[in-house]
Amino acid sequence: MSDRYPKINYRNGKRFFFRFSLMQRVQHIILFSCVITLGLTGFPQRYYNEAWAEPLFTFMGGIEMAPQIHRAAGVVLICLFFFHTGYWMYLFYRNKLKPLIKERNLGPGTFFKAFMSMEMMPNAKDGRDIVQMFKYLLYLSPKPPQYDRICWKEKFDYFAPYWGIPILGPAGLALWFRDEFTQIFPGWLLNAFYIMHTDEALLAGLFLFFVHWYNVHYAPEKFPLGTVFLTGYLSEADMIHEHYAEYVETMTEQGLAHEIKPQGHH
Amino acid sequence: MGVLPNKMLHSTAKRHTEAFAALLAMFLVIFMLGGLTWTAPAQAEDELNCVLCHKFRGLSRIDEEGRFRLFYINENLFMKGPHKRVMCLDCHRDIKKIPHDPAEKVNCTVECHLTEPSSKQNFTHAPVKEILDASVHSKYDKEGNLKDYPEDYPGCKDCHEQPLYRPLSFFKGESAGISRRGLSRCKSCHQTGDFAEDFYSHVTSRLQKTRESREIVETCAKCHADPAFQKRHGLDNVVASYKETFHGKAVTFGSDETADCMDCHVVYGESVHSIESHTEPTASTHKNNVAATCRNEECHVKAGEAIASYQVHTDYSNAEKYPMQYYMLKFFQGLMAAVLYFFIIVIFLELLRRLFPNFCFIKEKPTDAKSVLQNSSSEKGA
Repeated sequence: MSDRYPKINYRNGKRFFFRFSLMQRVQHIILFSCVITLGLTGFPQRYYNEAWAEPLFTFMGGIEMAPQIHRAAGVVLICLFFFHTGYWMYLFYRNKLKPLIKERNLGPGTFFKAFMSMEMMPNAKDGRDIVQMFKYLLYLSPKPPQYDRICWKEKFDYFAPYWGIPILGPAGLALWFRDEFTQIFPGWLLNAFYIMHTDEALLAGLFLFFVHWYNVHYAPEKFPLGTVFLTGYLSEADMIHEHYAEYVETMTEQGLAHEIKPQGHH
Repeated sequence: MGVLPNKMLHSTAKRHTEAFAALLAMFLVIFMLGGLTWTAPAQAEDELNCVLCHKFRGLSRIDEEGRFRLFYINENLFMKGPHKRVMCLDCHRDIKKIPHDPAEKVNCTVECHLTEPSSKQNFTHAPVKEILDASVHSKYDKEGNLKDYPEDYPGCKDCHEQPLYRPLSFFKGESAGISRRGLSRCKSCHQTGDFAEDFYSHVTSRLQKTRESREIVETCAKCHADPAFQKRHGLDNVVASYKETFHGKAVTFGSDETADCMDCHVVYGESVHSIESHTEPTASTHKNNVAATCRNEECHVKAGEAIASYQVHTDYSNAEKYPMQYYMLKFFQGLMAAVLYFFIIVIFLELLRRLFPNFCFIKEKPTDAKSVLQNSSSEKGA
């Protein structure tokens, strides 16, 4: 990846730091398009009683069309889930396992270590970062946490859909193919899947709306929109603010150690 | 536009005005014609000329019980209704003189002067009453004793609100579908009178669902959604729980393809008046028949027997009756509260921290780049 995407890009004399490849950005766009479509066609059904539900549902195609759109978006999302699983496995093999195989050093221990060293995996530094974050937020430390390439919030953002889709997807499929489903499974499972589907969706929707959108839209330095999801590159100021550890590492690696700026404050 | 001479501009404007006036006149004519057709009196079976008084829209009074009663008969509606060939006195039998005293309630089971064409007998709704009397909606129990709160049990008009009783329903434009081409085939033989038209519209209106599913739910809800009624009869709020299901939601959004109350509570192919309690072995909702009801040829055809264990009328707040739903909901509510409260507190603190970025209770020495590198690389030992 790194050869296609230089770690630091210059635009108008400003530094931009690489974060997401085109492949990842496209996956994210498919993900949020599906989730928004599913939300717009799904929540009016959950809140059928509210004044906004029927106009929105009618706008989304009404009882004839909106459920079809909902299912289509769901299918795309499930496909994306499988594609993404294949994607990270490929990256894991290429970046982590292949070198180990070359070194003839692949064993259960090294495999596990390699697995845990993937950038999305939670680790002990995340724990330390969270403690440091609370110390900083409660005015008990002057230093904001120095996040690495992927901070704990981003890991949470990542695993939210990665656990959400396996819950929502099969439940949605069971409710879609309810007749076939009851050939094999008891009908009361549909009651359970109904709750799983609708309540997990509400959790996801609220989390995205309040937390994720705060991080990328509402936060004062992001408003109205952080552009990294489109460009794949993050500005130096944001980099210092959000990923100071990675910033220092990248700058040092690129021989720019003398130009490293202090972390400073908001 | 500058190239157009003034005169030409003027004449274009004039032509536009003329066109507009012509259009307006056309619309006026259309509306007037429409109005004429609308107000043209239909031929009622009104031998005693009842509409002489009942045509007045304000004909109303407050009765002894303080209820507002409207006695206006919309002739146009009446002539489109199912009773258009029935004379007023056929149903209002207690009226002997005009002007008349307050009329008694109509008994739908009397024989009227219409003859049923196949049997040549006088027509009556009495067979429907027989079915209703054998159903859960009868005032009498199996031994023939009056049930508790007999006034809660429905009579004909409690469910059959035909448009005549709801003078404003013509706004909804409900009428049977008449195919003129289909009708022309009848008319080639049945040339006299309105016979073909009447029977054609009778049959076509019977062939289709005459009410939207939404309306059926509302009809049942008139009694079954009333908390006092539920308490009197020991019933759950089945309307609320129905509306929470996909059936209920689809119906709320205007679907007529999905199950309303009747589709599950009436044995497939039987009269809708024959609804029985789920405790009766012949009821569509009896535990041995639920699967067959769900799997009838219009609904879950491909479903397995196991569909019967799906719980339709779930009350999510009832832990004893629906423990799985109750505790699953509690789990998800807990998860949701935990996740959202945690993150919203973090966001709130983050915003507060921005107020005094340089303030801190505890002084620490500033970090240098070297220690940052050491801190982060300790995780990357591999």
